[in-house]
Amino acid sequence: MKAVVHSASTSRKNREMKKYLLTPLKTLSAVAVLCFAIAAWAATPEIELIIKDHLFFPAILEIPAGQKVRVRIINQDPTPEEFESFELNREKLVIGNGQTVIFIGPLEPGEYPFFGEFYPKTAQGVVIVK
Amino acid sequence: MFINSVILVLQEIIEAALLISVLLVFTNLFQKSWDKSFVLQTSWVGISIAIGVVGAAMYSYYTPQISEMFDYVGQEIFNASIHLLSLLLVCLFAFLVPSARLAKDVMGRAKFAAFCMTGIVMLAIVREGSEIIQYIGGIAGHEDNFTPVVLGGFIGAGIGVSTGVLLFYGLINLSVNWSFRISVGLLSLIAGNMGSQAVLLLTQADWLPFTPIAWNSSSALPENSIAGHLMYALVGYEATPSILQVSIYLLGIVLIVISPLFRKSWPLQHSLVGET
Repeated sequence: MKAVVHSASTSRKNREMKKYLLTPLKTLSAVAVLCFAIAAWAATPEIELIIKDHLFFPAILEIPAGQKVRVRIINQDPTPEEFESFELNREKLVIGNGQTVIFIGPLEPGEYPFFGEFYPKTAQGVVIVK
Repeated sequence: MFINSVILVLQEIIEAALLISVLLVFTNLFQKSWDKSFVLQTSWVGISIAIGVVGAAMYSYYTPQISEMFDYVGQEIFNASIHLLSLLLVCLFAFLVPSARLAKDVMGRAKFAAFCMTGIVMLAIVREGSEIIQYIGGIAGHEDNFTPVVLGGFIGAGIGVSTGVLLFYGLINLSVNWSFRISVGLLSLIAGNMGSQAVLLLTQADWLPFTPIAWNSSSALPENSIAGHLMYALVGYEATPSILQVSIYLLGIVLIVISPLFRKSWPLQHSLVGET
């Protein structure tokens, strides 16, 4: 299975822009800052990683080289899990039936294995950077 | 499940155990070499472990709420704050405890030293302990994991504590001078590691910018080898640290090297350790 990279829809951004154009000039600078923040937020693509039955779905995450990515880890098991990767230098606890976010990259092309520290026998995956 | 539990608990316990050992060596040295009226009770260890365990239980209880904070990077922010606070306490310890200002007030000095060390150990236990509680609490309650997980946890804890005890006796059996010097050296690495870990967590949370990796020593000393784990626990070894992490690590070392504690361990003229 492959991960889907999605970004904030442009139509929503346009709607926000229109709304703010109606506000007085005084607030222009604040609006500019807000737009910049939205743009910066949207610039980091997000991928979803699901934990179910102590397995990662998808087990293979493909991300582009040189790109920072927000990984949303959703744990559908009742037990906690710890996302860990020596290659990515990442470690993070995900509570049972909970979710969390980590940022990875920008990375060089290559393979970066990761695993669940609490169930390392089954919870295994790899980030492939192309 | 059993071996996994041994490794996981050992990993967490060993870090705190080594830290406690180094600080106990300082307690021992201060008791030996400072003024006779200087009373630094070893009881600070027991107190800090007790507070730390309560803190760890509270932290793991509130982990669901904390992890949702700051758009799901609350854990990173919380843990990085713990690291930075510990670093601050290590610096206060190294700069103020041996300073001339406290020289006349021996009781005040003892209390201040005990305060710093209690804080450092308590924070370490809150951080490491909460992870153990999450693991044991979350895993042992499900399926038929209870016996292997708890038994493995006890064995892991036993090995971790034993390693700390070995380090402690190894250090106090050296001459006073060398015991002091090596402990200060280890404290400087501990300080560097605290800063570096905070940087890593804040980068993971996207609160600090990405910096390229400084080196890759994963083929020479893999992080998931036994030596790699031990080096991680002792000095925070990482096979691929970022440039910012390495810089902050070095800054932590420099902070201890310029402190009065370091000057006392390497006196320019007399070799009177801890002279007050």
